[in-house]
Amino acid sequence: MLSAQERAHIAQVWDLIAGHEASFGAELLLRLFTVYPSTKVYFRHLGDQPDEVQLLSHGQRMLQAVGVAVQYMDNLHAVLSPLADLHAQVLRVDPTNFPLVIQCFQVVLASHLQGEYTVEMQAAWDKFLTGVAVVLTEKYR
Amino acid sequence: MVHFTTEEKAAVASLWAKVNVEVVGGESLARLLIVYPWTQRFFDSFGNLCSESAIMGNPKVKAHGRKVLNSFGNAIKHMDDLKGTFADLSELHCDKLHVDPENFRLLGNMILIVLATHFSKEFTPQMQAAWQKLTNAVANALAHKYH
Repeated sequence: MLSAQERAHIAQVWDLIAGHEASFGAELLLRLFTVYPSTKVYFRHLGDQPDEVQLLSHGQRMLQAVGVAVQYMDNLHAVLSPLADLHAQVLRVDPTNFPLVIQCFQVVLASHLQGEYTVEMQAAWDKFLTGVAVVLTEKYR
Repeated sequence: MVHFTTEEKAAVASLWAKVNVEVVGGESLARLLIVYPWTQRFFDSFGNLCSESAIMGNPKVKAHGRKVLNSFGNAIKHMDDLKGTFADLSELHCDKLHVDPENFRLLGNMILIVLATHFSKEFTPQMQAAWQKLTNAVANALAHKYH
């Protein structure tokens, strides 16, 4: 359960990302593939060496979904249900990969916001993204 | 045994030269205790951990964070033998401190996030990868003597 303060921190940080989903998403994927190369097995459709266009395109899709989750923080189960189906039936990403994405997301936010990335923001986003990951994997079995 | 390439060693060393050990160490430990509050279980003797500001300002947290990050400095000098370097500390954390090794991984992740706030664009994906490899390897070395 997210407190009112946590929701405020999440929304405040999202305001900085909104409109820039593609570039943030591309950076997220680039960091993910560089730091955790095994995650690339789930993105074979982007090719062996995804180029900037592909990273921007797929990154945008992922971050737009995060934006939807931010908008409907109180109702993640309903709003992420189609994505939960996709992950359970088609993508079948091993659940241990979600913390890796979350770690890279944190590094992206930290490197952009620098000293303004307070521990309260980090804690709220960690809790929020962990909640998103739980919903995305809850139909796995 | 973990093998670090010349490039990875150079990347780690170049950033380390600019790290303020007291600031980064203290902040990393404080963030661990705040983002994952259950980790506070190991720090009953540290006094006031009641709020985010209490934790961030706690002198024992800062001191211990500095101590932990100084040991990373030692790790960087011995990247080819982390298990040997951390053997005694591993026994200490198992036999006396009883710390779940998962905490070493979590703290390593916090260090990376704090480095990212300080170094921003300089903390490139390649730099992140080298440091993540180092923190994972230190965590494994610290867990190696557990029994």
